[in-house]
Amino acid sequence: MNNMTILVVDDDPVIRKMLEKRLEKAGYEVLIAEDGYQARKMLPQQHIDVVLTDLMMPGSIGGLEVLDIAKNISPNIEVILITAHSSIDTAVEAMKKGAADYLEKPINFDELFLRLEKIANMQSIMRNALDLSQAMDTTESVASETIQNLEIMNAGLQSRLNTLEAILRDEQISTYERIDKAIDLLTA
Amino acid sequence: MLKITPEELKLVAQYIHDISGIFLDQSKSYLFETRLGTIATEHGCNTYKELYQKAKTDPSKSIERKIIDAISTNETLFFRDKGPFELLQHKLLPELIDARTPSSTALKTNLKIWSAASSTGQELYSIAIIIKELLPNIANYSVKLLGTDISDGAVAQASRGKYNKFEMERGLPSDKLQRYFTMFGDSWTIKDDIRAMVQFKKLNLMMPFVGLGKFDIIFCRNVAIYFTLPDRQKLFNKIADSLADDGFLIIGSTESLTGICPRFVPKRHLRSIFYQKTS
Repeated sequence: MNNMTILVVDDDPVIRKMLEKRLEKAGYEVLIAEDGYQARKMLPQQHIDVVLTDLMMPGSIGGLEVLDIAKNISPNIEVILITAHSSIDTAVEAMKKGAADYLEKPINFDELFLRLEKIANMQSIMRNALDLSQAMDTTESVASETIQNLEIMNAGLQSRLNTLEAILRDEQISTYERIDKAIDLLTA
Repeated sequence: MLKITPEELKLVAQYIHDISGIFLDQSKSYLFETRLGTIATEHGCNTYKELYQKAKTDPSKSIERKIIDAISTNETLFFRDKGPFELLQHKLLPELIDARTPSSTALKTNLKIWSAASSTGQELYSIAIIIKELLPNIANYSVKLLGTDISDGAVAQASRGKYNKFEMERGLPSDKLQRYFTMFGDSWTIKDDIRAMVQFKKLNLMMPFVGLGKFDIIFCRNVAIYFTLPDRQKLFNKIADSLADDGFLIIGSTESLTGICPRFVPKRHLRSIFYQKTS
């Protein structure tokens, strides 16, 4: 069972329907946007793991703009672009801007599912790493409190020992006085 | 993954200690295998002994550098563990500035800070950001921020000041991120004004500290934990020599100098501890 939520953005209703069916069958949660404008509205409103967007769409919000919008909302949203062969240069440019990958039309579903699995694995590794680092932070903060208290207590004891030694070595006063003063220090 | 034999473990552990001071637990053979296995294969070695011999006799020292890069831990964050940075901002820097400000306004106030195991630079850049925010009239100061690390790879990345989203994920408040970094794609680069405040270079903490001079504040966090007790004692003794008499030392929040260096005394400020030299 895949629990990633994928937003499909494509102005072609046939491709949209096909992607929706195949992805749902594979167990993904699928959301649909008919163009970049709709995607822009949907992206901030719900949790989305992956955006699968056409590069060329009508209007001023194409795939590259959808990529920017998604990355601005969260760098953790991964974006896969769907491109025609002729626009591969743009797709490569998009990769530099943070797109996870691009797929050429016609869509090869085996390839798409491989990419999605790769993203899911990556996200699960990221989550584990984050959990581990949070566990480490907790351990560290508890340990540091204990260690710092011991460090200060130890420094205090050390300074008392030094004073004690000075008292016991003080030849200006009698042995009894030294013992009295030493006991005073220890019971203070 | 290439397996390491018990004899090789001894040999390689000793070698790593010699070149870096890092003490690796020989019972953790996986540590050696996961970190050195690829380097061995890359250099066509069928055993770790072969890798050791190649590394030792390589005049360019490039294998040695790769081994150090692989062995040294680069877990670091911007503002990792808030305590030391709050300490710096609210106590150490104000106190130092009071003590260091010359009576003549024609003179600049000197401040020298050293991040002794700077890894990929996040600690020193965090310090630079704090100083920039604390001193609006920074031109009146002569601020020297030095970061050193044993790993060439870490020093190179620190110098570039470029970080991927995973490295940026924790620790950095978004207002600081926007103000001090330029984003391109998935990576962030520190802006030039902060970059210009710092300098990074390679240094093995086991070697003598030549030409570094005295510092007002030294950060030496979470590096001595990889050294043996005698090596830690030597290290903090040298650090005491490199610290101004009224200077401050900050170590990792779970580290202790008890039984390591009697020349330092711990002091508490709020929830943090710093060290000063005993008078």
